Amino acid sequence: MGDMAPEVEQAQPPAAFLVWEDLTATVKNLRGRKSSRKLLQGLSGCALPGRLLAIMGPSGSGKSTLLDSLAGRLGRNVGLSGRLLLNGQRRRTDYGVAAYVRQENVLLGTLTVRETITYSAHLRLPSSMTKMEVAGVVEATIEEMGLEDCSDRVVGNWHRRGISGGEKKRLCIALEILTKPPLLFLDEPTSGLDSAAAFFIIQMLRQMTRDGNKTVISSIHQPSSEVFALFDDLFLLSGGEVVYFGDAKLAPKFFEEAGLPCPIKNNPADHFLRCINSDFDHVNATLKGSIKHLSSESSSDPLLRLGTAEIKAMLIDRFKSSEYALMTKRKISELSKIEGFTVEFLTGSQASWWKQLKVLTRRSFTNMCRDIGYYWLRIIIYIVVSLCVGSIYFDVGNSYNAIWARASCGAFISGFMTFMSIGGFPSFIEEVVVFYHERQNGHYGVAVYTISNFLSAFPFLVAVSMATTSITYFMLKAHRDFAHYAYFAISIYTGVAVVESIMMVVASLVPNFLMGIIAGAGIMGIIMMTAGFFRPVRDLPKPVWLYPIAYINYATWLLEGNYKNDFIGSSFNPLVAGDSKVAGEFVLEDTFGVTSTRSKWADLLIAAMLLVMYRILFFLILKLKEVVSPLFRKAAVDTKAL
Amino acid sequence: MKSAVMAEIEAGKPAGNGLVSSSLSPLSETLWREKTNTELLGDVSARLTWKDLTVTVALGSGETQQVLEGLTGYAEPGSFTALMGPSGSGKSTLLDALSNRLASNAFLSGVVLLNGRKTKLSFGGAAYVTQDDNLIGTLTVRETIMYSARLRLPDKMEKEEKRALVEGTIVEMGLQDCADTVIGNWHLRGISGGEKRRVSIAIEIIMRPRLLFLDEPTSGLDSASAFFVTQTLRGLSRDGRTVIASIHQPSSEVFELFDQLYLLSGGKTVYFGKASGAYEFFAEAGFPCPSLRNPSDHFLRCINSDFDKVKATLKGSMKTRFERSDDPLEKITTSEATRRLIEYYRRSQYYYTAKEKVDSISKFKGTVLDSGGSHASFFMQSYVLTKRSFINMSRDFGYYWLRLVIYLVVTVCIGTIYLNVGTRYSSILARGACASFVFGFVTFMSIGGFPSFVEDMKVFQRERLNGHYGVVAFVIGNTLSATPFLILITFLSGTICYFMVRLHPGFLHYLFFVLCLYASVTVVESLMMAIASVVPNFLMGIIIGAGIQGIFMLVSGYFRLPKDIPKPFWRYPMSYISFHYWALQGQYQNDLAGLLFDGPSPYDLKIPGDYILRDVFQIDVHRSKWWDLSVLLSMIVIYRIIFFVMIKVSEDLTPWIRGYLARRRLQHKKSLGGPTELANRTPSLRAYAAPPKSSSSSSSDIIV
Repeated sequence: MGDMAPEVEQAQPPAAFLVWEDLTATVKNLRGRKSSRKLLQGLSGCALPGRLLAIMGPSGSGKSTLLDSLAGRLGRNVGLSGRLLLNGQRRRTDYGVAAYVRQENVLLGTLTVRETITYSAHLRLPSSMTKMEVAGVVEATIEEMGLEDCSDRVVGNWHRRGISGGEKKRLCIALEILTKPPLLFLDEPTSGLDSAAAFFIIQMLRQMTRDGNKTVISSIHQPSSEVFALFDDLFLLSGGEVVYFGDAKLAPKFFEEAGLPCPIKNNPADHFLRCINSDFDHVNATLKGSIKHLSSESSSDPLLRLGTAEIKAMLIDRFKSSEYALMTKRKISELSKIEGFTVEFLTGSQASWWKQLKVLTRRSFTNMCRDIGYYWLRIIIYIVVSLCVGSIYFDVGNSYNAIWARASCGAFISGFMTFMSIGGFPSFIEEVVVFYHERQNGHYGVAVYTISNFLSAFPFLVAVSMATTSITYFMLKAHRDFAHYAYFAISIYTGVAVVESIMMVVASLVPNFLMGIIAGAGIMGIIMMTAGFFRPVRDLPKPVWLYPIAYINYATWLLEGNYKNDFIGSSFNPLVAGDSKVAGEFVLEDTFGVTSTRSKWADLLIAAMLLVMYRILFFLILKLKEVVSPLFRKAAVDTKAL
Repeated sequence: MKSAVMAEIEAGKPAGNGLVSSSLSPLSETLWREKTNTELLGDVSARLTWKDLTVTVALGSGETQQVLEGLTGYAEPGSFTALMGPSGSGKSTLLDALSNRLASNAFLSGVVLLNGRKTKLSFGGAAYVTQDDNLIGTLTVRETIMYSARLRLPDKMEKEEKRALVEGTIVEMGLQDCADTVIGNWHLRGISGGEKRRVSIAIEIIMRPRLLFLDEPTSGLDSASAFFVTQTLRGLSRDGRTVIASIHQPSSEVFELFDQLYLLSGGKTVYFGKASGAYEFFAEAGFPCPSLRNPSDHFLRCINSDFDKVKATLKGSMKTRFERSDDPLEKITTSEATRRLIEYYRRSQYYYTAKEKVDSISKFKGTVLDSGGSHASFFMQSYVLTKRSFINMSRDFGYYWLRLVIYLVVTVCIGTIYLNVGTRYSSILARGACASFVFGFVTFMSIGGFPSFVEDMKVFQRERLNGHYGVVAFVIGNTLSATPFLILITFLSGTICYFMVRLHPGFLHYLFFVLCLYASVTVVESLMMAIASVVPNFLMGIIIGAGIQGIFMLVSGYFRLPKDIPKPFWRYPMSYISFHYWALQGQYQNDLAGLLFDGPSPYDLKIPGDYILRDVFQIDVHRSKWWDLSVLLSMIVIYRIIFFVMIKVSEDLTPWIRGYLARRRLQHKKSLGGPTELANRTPSLRAYAAPPKSSSSSSSDIIV
């Protein structure tokens, strides 16, 4: 690679030569039977710095499998054999070494383009870099990806219009090239984009490849003529076998030599796919059966006479014996010998734990601030519901009936109002998806995420509880001192925070959002039923319901604490006028079965401990999911390939 | 006689159009023979022409924007016309303008003629296939088409004939292989995207329309499926139909299937003529298509102004330049190229040929195609909808089965917690709490079926827009089909709850409890339906539904005793609107009346249930519990009526208001001396399946 572009001024970035030989991927049958299916069959090829390699093929041809095996991201049920060398050495092309741009855009919708890149930079670039340096990297990346025009616009989500699909994709690429990886994988970067946007992205990639001496490998579905012209190398796959590998410019010649010249009024990429896409056989067969007019039309096409299956077999055979295959072989053996090129590649993140926590908390807080559905909507609902509750129980007083009214008011607030936390579910899921994605790329750890989420949510939950408490407390006029007010507020905060944690646990276990809401509602139902309002705790059946459910139920403790907070020290008018006043302590014991031996603060403390427990549970579930999930497996290629 | 009619049909075809096949397909023959016997005599083909078509949209800010400018063109039977252009070029607007589906704030001027007449394009004659496939996921392909056929074909048609028609359509659309596969939804794997698109088309061609509009039928499909869909469309056009489709980025194979090409950029005609002639046109205009290039890619590349932006950005951010420079497009911007092409087209032979052709076709006064979306009777529609809805509900796990499981689990939980509640002193409160929990929380879980219902609504809206059936038929169908499931769910869970808790013994008491539960769940269902008709987004629907139910629960008389509820607003009217209130009033009476409870201490007297009802729960014991139940039942009807009214409002009133406001804005502008002269024209109402009378004003007035 001596003839590098002379205008590259910065220090020579590390180059990546990727070579693969006899790569075969098989789906392992989970039941242990021997009928495993081959996804890739003995593929050989190489990717060079400064060249843009396209992996093309009809759907189901193994494009994604090849890309995943090269990037070391294969699923656990797929076995890989063959040789995979990076700069002449066997090593994982794992996270950090290679950047991988997924097909779907995983972004936080409320952040602007610049913010998204800046937060990501702060999360991953070394903590030793100054703010100015990081900003410099960010601006350079924005410019490199042509995002200047939209750099201050928000990404956009379900209720907010944001940047276009092409811009989103470029933003995703920008995030991956922040750490300047020498090797970049892209999974169908143009799918779903219009021709101009697709052209833009591939042109950008080509430029990046040239300027940064990067090795870029991209799978691509149906490139237009302009896009196809931008690729340097082409790896054409069909049914897991190689149809063509070599210079993209020479591919039409190969097809012509094989007797399938591309018509001049045709896009070569369309033509290649047309030749090897066996779906067309099926289409033609069905059409022949159903439309009689077609049989007479257009039979001059060789493609209609021969089935694509035959054409494909012929092409595969022909390629094996062609000079292109020989050339590849030569190149591979040459590149396998390269040594001393080993460069220490960056690992996922170089920022310190504290810095990650700080950045993540700030990002999460910004997101919560801007997303109406996350907390603001809920705060409004809480205020409205509090006003309703407050007006219904307005000036509740000390009459005999007030005993019941006070109890049910407390139960309604702690039961129903915490239930409304479900409303934040979709926003939360959006954030969790971003977390999974960044976690897969090793940007930060689970603990950092769990803590940052708690910290950033804290101000909002405090606002929720303050609003609710202030409105109901002053409308009910039950007590008039600060201690009662504070207790009530802290208790509401704990309740909402626990429900939030439970919902997070549910979200991490349940795949979709409807199931999440149903499961969440079911759990809330059980929590309300065993909390002591609908049935006093002493009356609950002992097995299951009292031990353990009522005890691990945060609402039991909170409700008991609230009862104590409300009734101890109060006295109520008797049922029959003239009798002595009813003391609050008596009501507690007699009606609700609550003994006032334990302090109300102890109840609150236990509920707070439950809160911590649920958070730890959330953390453990995330950790456990990682162990199970194939994507977090280390040394994927190492162990199996050899 | 029949052969004579057929001959006449043949004779009616335009001579010299070599594209039209010598005969209709065997299938179409059957149907048209059927029709010719009754109503049609003569030519049944559709010739569409449009001249100087201009569409102006009134934007919310009071600005107006010309979306289409002076378009002229035609579509003939037996030909497949493709509308092409970059995104935002007006493809969809042209399609909407031709099919009379423009939004109410868009104003149309110019002449659109069908068979030489200013006819409103009605649903029988023309069909419109939208871009999104809103299909019922649990039905198979054959069932989907069959139900759609039975919804619209005349009642008197034999069942066998309908079946033959459906089978024929399946073959025609190449759906034989997947005819018995389900469509698929979020939890059910079904047919592929291309197959879904073909099912959508199949549904629309059941009525054998002579004119077919399709909005981007190939978008989102892979090349083989796109080719398949286009090939079928071509096949349909060869059958003597007129097919017009907007197409986004056709591959080379797909492009070769077009007969006519209408190329748009920025609302102006870049090219209209034979698709095969476009290649030469671009070459003549100075933009030859390079070899090994898909012509349609090249055309769009020339007229897509997004490329200018791409190039500008690339030039700004890249250190190196573009490598190719032999391309004429590298030297000039695409907006310049577009301008040149539009100019060139105006002066070209293609334009004059098109104009002449439009004039000659317009002179030919053809048949007025029959109208009417559905020929089936109201009862038939209701019957078919009920059956279809029932099958969908029984197959969709998320609709009712999931809820049945949840209900059983929840009622078993309640049953064990209140197991054998008895008549002790503490049982009084326990019975009250139990009833309140059952009617409050359990009915609340009905929200779980909301997403499935929203899916249903989408299908309803598509079919409604195409005039397949009315709102009443839908409401009846939904109500009848849901009844067995709701009865099953409430009776099973009610029985579990009743016998585990051992509520007031006696069959009538049991029956009342279960009926009351059934009525409450159905009310919630109807309430959610009414919400779904107003709120588009399903999360908002759930939040609003939960909020309303929360408030209802609060004033039901359990959380706060009825007499303690503040009188203004909360007691009158809220607690009377709340269905929980009536359910609890009835159930308390049902459960407590006639029982004797222990006193607070063993020495006290027994407390009669009636005393508790009157003085503890503050229930009006003079009103019969059956009266409470009938209030609940009437609430079901009321909510269904609200649902009906809501749909009517959003269908008729909202577009009318929007159109009225847009017209006002235009008039206002005109009075200020604005250049527009459109203000006097009525907006074309979006073509809901309104009776011809109400919407005739829109179509006939526009076409001046």
